[in-house]
Parts: sequence; C-alpha cells; structure tokens
Amino acid sequence: MTVIDPTPRARTSDVKITLRGIGKVFPLNKTPGAAPREFVALSEINLDIRRGEFLAIVGPSGSGKSTLLDILAGLAPINSGEALIDGRALSGPDLDRGIVLQGDSLFPWRTVRKNIEFGLEVKKTPKQERRGVVDRYLRLVGLTEFDNHFPHELSGGMKQRVALARALAYDPEILLMDEPFAAVDALTRETLQNELLSIWEATGKTIVFVTHSIEEAIYLSDRVAVLTSNPGTISHIIDVNLPRPRNSGDLRSSPEFGRIRHTLWQLLQGREGRA
Amino acid sequence: MTEMRTMNLAALHNKLLRSSGILFFLLLWETASRFTWVDAYFLPPCSTVAAEIVRLFGDGSLVSNLAISSVRALGGLLLALIIGLPLGFLFGRRLVIVGEILDPLLRIASQVNPFLVLMASTLILGFGESAKFFVIAWVSLWPVLFYTTTAFHTVDPYQIKIARSLAVSETELLAKVLIPSALPTIFTGIRISAGITFFILVAVEMLNATSGLGWLEHNSAMNFEIPTMYAAATVIVVLGFLLNRFLLSLENALFSWNASSSTVTRSAVREEPKPVWRPNRGAAMTAAAALALVFCAGGYELRKVNAERSRELAGPDLGKHARHLGSEVRK
Repeated sequence: MTVIDPTPRARTSDVKITLRGIGKVFPLNKTPGAAPREFVALSEINLDIRRGEFLAIVGPSGSGKSTLLDILAGLAPINSGEALIDGRALSGPDLDRGIVLQGDSLFPWRTVRKNIEFGLEVKKTPKQERRGVVDRYLRLVGLTEFDNHFPHELSGGMKQRVALARALAYDPEILLMDEPFAAVDALTRETLQNELLSIWEATGKTIVFVTHSIEEAIYLSDRVAVLTSNPGTISHIIDVNLPRPRNSGDLRSSPEFGRIRHTLWQLLQGREGRA
Repeated sequence: MTEMRTMNLAALHNKLLRSSGILFFLLLWETASRFTWVDAYFLPPCSTVAAEIVRLFGDGSLVSNLAISSVRALGGLLLALIIGLPLGFLFGRRLVIVGEILDPLLRIASQVNPFLVLMASTLILGFGESAKFFVIAWVSLWPVLFYTTTAFHTVDPYQIKIARSLAVSETELLAKVLIPSALPTIFTGIRISAGITFFILVAVEMLNATSGLGWLEHNSAMNFEIPTMYAAATVIVVLGFLLNRFLLSLENALFSWNASSSTVTRSAVREEPKPVWRPNRGAAMTAAAALALVFCAGGYELRKVNAERSRELAGPDLGKHARHLGSEVRK
C-alpha cells in the first residue's frame, strides 16, 4: 500500500499514528451455498495519535476495542482504510510496538528475568548487553529481587509489572495496552496506574490504552476516544485537561474529573442528546 | 539443634508410618505361608521368593531377561514417539481439520484391545520380534499422540499473540513458545505411555516369547517352578513402580514452573524460588549413554537368546522344549 496523498496532518512530525477510514469485518458463516454474512467489527475509524501522547480508548464490550488494538499491533489485517505509523503504512507486527495484554500472558516456563529478556532475544541483542537492559527494567518496575522467580510465584500486580517491563525492554516507541490492569485488585490497580504514568513521563512513549473503566481512562490519559458498537466506530474524542503529575492529591475527587467522568458516562450510555 | 533433631525424627516417623502398609503385607505373606494358612507350595514365603530373586540375579538370568524386556519396551516406546510426536504437532496446530476428521477413527483404534492387535500382528508379522515391537508401539502410541495433540492445540493464545507482536519467525515461535508450552503435557503423555508399555510388554512376553521378564514368569509357572514365578512377578511389580516414580520425579523436576500441573506440589507462599532443573549437557549425555547401553546389551542378549531358541526349535524333540527351557533357567 503506497500513500499517494497523505493528509497534511499526517506529514507533521507530531503525529505518530494515523488511522483513516479503518474498517474491519469478520465473516460469520462459511456454509457453502448460504449467503455469506459478515460482522462489521469496525467502521470508518478516523484517529490521529500524537507522538508521546497517552490516549485511552473506552467502549462497551463488543465495540471492537481489542480489534482496534490488534490492528495497531499489526496482528489483524484491515479490510478498508489505511493505518500509518510515522507516515508509513503499517504492514505487520514489528519491534517498534510493544503490547501488554489483560490477565496472565507471561511465559510460565521463563523466570521474571527471562520473560523480560524475550523481546531482546527476538531482537538478537547480544547476551552481555541484555543483562544490563533487563536489570534496568527490573529496577524500573521494582522487581530486582524477583528476577529468578517464576510467574506462578508472583502476585497479580507483580505479573503485570513483568508484562510491562517485557514490553518496554526492547524499547518500542509505542505501547499498546489491552485492559492490562483489569485482573488486579483496586488498590494494586491504583499503584500500577501511578507507576505506568511515571514510566510514561520518564520514557516519552506513545501509549494507546484500552480499558472499560471510565475513571482509569480519565486518570491516565491526555485524550479519551469513545468507541460505540454496531458497528464499532469512534463517536467522540474527549480532551482531558487535568494537571500533571496526576498522583499529587486526590485528583479523582476534583470537580473537573467528575465533569469529564459524567460526560463520558453519558456518551457511553448513548444519552448525549438529553444532557 | 534440638529443633532439627525433632524434625528428622518426625520425618523418620512419617516414613515408617507410610511404609507400615508394605511391611504389614510382607509380614502377612510370610506368616500365611510359614504357618500353612495357605498351601506353601503355591504361595512360598516371601523370604524364599527374595532368596530366589537373589539366585536369579546371581546366575545372570534376571539381568539377561531384564535387558531383553527393556529393549522391547524402549524400542516400542521410541517407535511410538517417532510417530506420535510429529503427528500430534500436525493434528494440534498445522492440520487441525485433518486431526478432527481422523479423531473418531483414532479414538476407536486406541480402544482396540491390545491382545487382538497381538493376534493380528502375529498372523501378519509372524512370531518374531517385529510383532512384539508393533504391539508395544501400537499401545504406547495413543497417549503420546493424544496428549501431544492437546498440548499443541491448547497453547495459550495470549502467549502466541505476544510472540507474534514481536514479528517472530515460525521457527522462533515453535522453539520459544509452542514447544516449551506443550512440553509438560507431552511429558505426561509419555509417562502414561511408559506405564502402559510396561503392562503390555509383560503380557506380550507371556503369550508370545521365549525370553524377557514376562516369559520368565509365565514359563516358570507352566513348569511349576513356583518361587521363580513369584520372583519374576515381584521384580516386574517393583520395576513398574520404580519406572513410574522415576518419571514422576523427573516431571516434577523439569516442570516445577508449571503450577497448574497436578503432579507438582505447590505452596501458597514460597520464600525462595523452587529450583527448576534444567538438564545440562552432562545429564543429557549420561541419559543417552544409559539408553545406548541398555539397547546394546539388550539387543545382544535378545539375538543370543533367539538364536539359541531357534537352534532348539530346529531339534527333533519339540515336546521336551518347554521342560528344557525351564531347567535352563534353573541352572
């Protein structure tokens, strides 16, 4: 796919990811003879994600959040539209993007250290170099003493830290996160959110964060994209103009936080007309 | 210091308690025979059987037959692995549709009574070793095949997704994700196969052989050498138990990272990580050398015994054959 006429915004350096009219359909039945039916998972997705931005995507179940993330990861081909990273067509998975999934996606046969090292092995980083890199990311997520533990010996929160370190270790420019904190308890989740924010501020990664939690989306992100289902499309993009760093004081109780939360809630309920 | 002594005592106590069942059984066996609660001719006391085991070990017949049995078991199992592992990978990942289509056929085939297979394979392949290998391989193929198929089919899609997102090659995916993830389940299949192999081996040797532990047991029974029969039976039971124990502990040592495995004991909180034993080159070489030794020694014994037997069978007096074989063991 060649880009004949990229939109002016896509040319500017501050746009990292451009999605133009993205559509994705899944065939529903392949019964011979029967009329082919398909499920439109995503339709007419238009989105510019800025370099270094923290963008959250919220939406109900089945709105195609994970599918959108799969497209960004290069794991799902698109049926229409174009997806660009740095102005170049996205053609498949690559080491410029790292993914963190919900639940337990660690390799249970590898120690914490070997899990974090995985991407570096694929990247063919020399062995002696890997050690230092892994040490740095172990420190970053506070798991230095656990480097020789196996995933089944860790708590849920620790596992997600390892998953985050594994995605960061090979230094991708973009982090794609699919409900990474959905399976941990509320307190741990807040800790992980703050840790993610400070890592983001320290590394300047572009983060696309899929969640079903409105609060989580507001607390973390610069902008929140609202996906609605049938077909999955971005109905609104809400700016979150809350001061950073966000972990100072009880931001979640501030009036501005409440106002955005209410707006998003109404959008997700489909009541924006009555507001 | 005293604390440690108490712990050791407790461990010893536990051990004694756990083996008390076995001790009681042996004691009951001995007394029942000594006080002729049962006919001592048909159930000699276990001390007599133990002495017989020592004698059989001393005259070499136990080692010889054990080597022959091992070669048959290992050969059959190896054949099952060579067929089952690649086929399981194909049915689990590459040709899933083919696997599903063939599944009913394979399930029925796996349910065919091994003795029927033995009859058929003897008719087709004759009384030689190939019929025995075939039956043993046939029986041990199914657990290996089914467990390998399941193992590859149920690799966590998230783990595959993580690897794919890094644009790994197919070979890397296989080596770094699919095989490590599938190994514990595959190993369980191999362990089950090994157990079944041992069972069917003894049966095959009873019906259709002139050597091996099963033959030793059957032949001595036919010749009313009762202590020899019990000695052979005891050796078979103990070997089967040890084989299972060995494979279980190997499984635990290799896959202690696999918390979901039923054979792995887990504790909720562990201060120090439990070491996972990674077989180093030395261990692998030792295992390979041991297997090669068993193959060579067993193969040699097997050829020797088969040659002797065929010479005897060529002789005029076939009627004396069975008695003659019996007395040979006695010597």
